Amino acid sequence: MNPAPALLAALAFATALATGGRLLVWQAERVPDTGSVFDLLLGESRRAFAMHAFIKADAYFHSGFYPSVFDLAQVADRNKTHLEESIKSAGNEHHDHDAKPAPARDWLEAFGNHFHPSQHRHLERFGDEREILPWLRLAAELDPQRVETYTVAAFWLRDRLNKVNDAEQFLREGLRANPQSYEILYELGRLYAENDRDVPRARAVLELAIERWLKQEARKADPDKQGYGQILAQLADLEERAGNLDRALAHFARLKQVSPAPETVQKRIDELLARQGRPR
Amino acid sequence: MNTIWALAKIVVLEMIRRKDFYVLFILTVLLTGMAGSVNLFNDHSIVRYLKEICLLLIWVASLVIAITCTARQIPMEREQRTIFPLLAKPVTRAQFLLGKFLGCWVATGLALLVFYLFFGVVSASREQHWPVLNYLQAGFLHWLMLGIVIAATLLGSIVFAAPSSNGTICFVCVAGILLLGRHLNKVALGLAEPLQSLLYGIYFVIPHLELFDVRDLITHNWDLIPGGVMALAILYAATYTAFLLTAAWLVFRRRPLN
Amino acid sequence: METLTIDNLRVEYRSRAVGDPVKTAVRGLNLRVAQGEVFGFLGPNGAGKTSTMNVLLGFVPPTSGTARLFGVDVREPIARQRIGYLPEQTYYYKFLTAEELLRFYAEIFQIPKAERTQRIDAVLKLVELDHARTRQIKTYSKGMQQRAGLAQALINNPDLLILDEPTSGLDPIGRMKVREIIQRLKSEGKTVFFSSHELGEVETVCDRIAILHQGELKTEGRVSDLLRQHGANLEQIFLKIIGHPLQP
Ligand SMILES: Nc1ncnc2c1ncn2[C@@H]1O[C@H](COP(=O)(O)OP(=O)(O)OP(=O)(O)O)[C@@H](O)[C@H]1O
Ligand SMILES: [Mg+2]
Repeated sequence: MNPAPALLAALAFATALATGGRLLVWQAERVPDTGSVFDLLLGESRRAFAMHAFIKADAYFHSGFYPSVFDLAQVADRNKTHLEESIKSAGNEHHDHDAKPAPARDWLEAFGNHFHPSQHRHLERFGDEREILPWLRLAAELDPQRVETYTVAAFWLRDRLNKVNDAEQFLREGLRANPQSYEILYELGRLYAENDRDVPRARAVLELAIERWLKQEARKADPDKQGYGQILAQLADLEERAGNLDRALAHFARLKQVSPAPETVQKRIDELLARQGRPR
Repeated sequence: MNTIWALAKIVVLEMIRRKDFYVLFILTVLLTGMAGSVNLFNDHSIVRYLKEICLLLIWVASLVIAITCTARQIPMEREQRTIFPLLAKPVTRAQFLLGKFLGCWVATGLALLVFYLFFGVVSASREQHWPVLNYLQAGFLHWLMLGIVIAATLLGSIVFAAPSSNGTICFVCVAGILLLGRHLNKVALGLAEPLQSLLYGIYFVIPHLELFDVRDLITHNWDLIPGGVMALAILYAATYTAFLLTAAWLVFRRRPLN
Repeated sequence: METLTIDNLRVEYRSRAVGDPVKTAVRGLNLRVAQGEVFGFLGPNGAGKTSTMNVLLGFVPPTSGTARLFGVDVREPIARQRIGYLPEQTYYYKFLTAEELLRFYAEIFQIPKAERTQRIDAVLKLVELDHARTRQIKTYSKGMQQRAGLAQALINNPDLLILDEPTSGLDPIGRMKVREIIQRLKSEGKTVFFSSHELGEVETVCDRIAILHQGELKTEGRVSDLLRQHGANLEQIFLKIIGHPLQP
């Protein structure tokens, strides 16, 4: 009696199960537009690896803590990585997450939690954010069409690591691969506005971003209003600082239409009007 | 004990005189060097990705060394018939197995020492700090894990006839446990009842090698694992190693040699 | 006291494939070898000589019957403390030098450190491998390997030597050397139990012989008695006993 074949079969089954589970999660995350089989195989696996690199960056952002696909499979909606969230709400350090890890399911898991990062923890020393960059670089190599890679990396590069030039270069690289991306243009505009204080350039780029957004998103059933709002807010701020209050008011007016909190936008408008010395 | 040690020394000597280890070490150094020479946004203090890659290479290399070195021991003894003059001497089969186990374990331990020294140099070259205790702890846990792997491979080399198939099986099993072992319980909970209990049972029975994989803690500079937990980990590894060695002995004890 | 005792020994090989017949290599063998004897264990190919030795060394468990060395059952590892064994064909750990190989075996016999080097020097000199002692065994010729094997069989200064075709693969000088070594051991009061196909050599060195054929003992006795009884040389006796038609 040779037990080898049975064992091999069991192992193959286990491996298939695992990869199958993984693929399902990926599938749920991004529905592929099916091209040729070859494209599907090559393209999809590259994109899957890029996704993996991106997840890795997110894990690095949490000092190695990252829920596995098996944990993820139990959390129904999860399409944005934590890393992206933290950038969207840039500036205010606090983003919501359940700080308490899920309770261990059995003693073995409880014991095992001593041996790998099992608590939610962020990078603690200033500048440690640089550690996530290699994975973003890799993600960009594998899937140049993945826009978030560029915006996230550029954010950390200029905001935390004071590497504005490298950030700009990377965004331009992203723009070459995705000429239609308003997200990258927005990041680039922010860079010019906040770091270079180059108003004309920032304005040009941000206005181009608006143009692109209108062309791509406006007709959609569920347009990315948040992205639009961010561009408008940035542009309004820019004009306000530059003293072009009329233009600023115009941008705020458009922002009010898409903002989830129109009252705060109205408050800004009122302030501006007051500064202009005009009655309401 | 003298006999076991004499046998172990031969295995260590064999590893030193074979090329496998050197090839793997040079490969690790080269690949790490390549990964380190990539220019990432002109920032030369980025280190964690390099630590991760280096540790991954070390893990793969150590498993290759441990499994191939162990898997060939007994088949080689039999094929080259060196086992005959050896067992014609006052050596029990238990001593023979223990000597082989100890030799493979010590040999891979020596290899690990070299590998982790290299890792220390790599990380210190960019991080300017030496968490020696953490590295020692990680290396020690790694070594404990290899003890289980070596005992399992030794058992496999008695059960399965061909050393190559044994090596492959051990590799697949070890890789499977390292990648999935920790999640088997979660997978089980998502299954229907007869399968759930079965998978949960498997989850409790398999040796959880991934416990000893603390690469993420090292990469991201987490604190040392407390002593009590370490003691339990040692006990855990020792239990599985002893169990596997006993099984190997029970199979080998009455096995005719020709 | 008898050095080697075999009672009613039966050795069967069960093949792995189900349905294959059981192969009986030795049937009901009884043999006694006294201390100080040189005993020749003869038989055509496949007669069961190596199988018998495998039992004596504990490699193969007897199907039935018993075998004892110095009164200790061969299943006990301690029975092998005072024996030296040269297998039919061996390759030693090729990555070791002869000296390292002997040191390793000396450690297994727990020969005290002080004696070890002395012992190694002595056996290397005896088998004339002194000049090659620091070379790895993989660089040895077949005859040199055979002599290294003889050296390891002698490392513990054994009281009983079990040699499976010790002269196969050796040149005439090598054979003569082995004969000399056997005679020398005999003069030291050691027991030698060996198998061989070289009947002339057996005739010159052996006190007693046994002839095995198809697992059964056909003849056993003093060489001189047998020669006298049959009035022929050993080769003729051998052929007659195994039922081979004699050449006219
Ligand atoms: N492992 C084995 N499995 C099955 N049969 C075997 C095994 N080893 C030996 N035999 C058989 O047992 C018989 C005796 O073999 P053995 O090796 O003892 O002969 P021998 O007397 O040493 O022969 P030779 O002079 O050729 O060395 C042979 O018929 C052989 O085919
Ligand atoms: Mg034979």
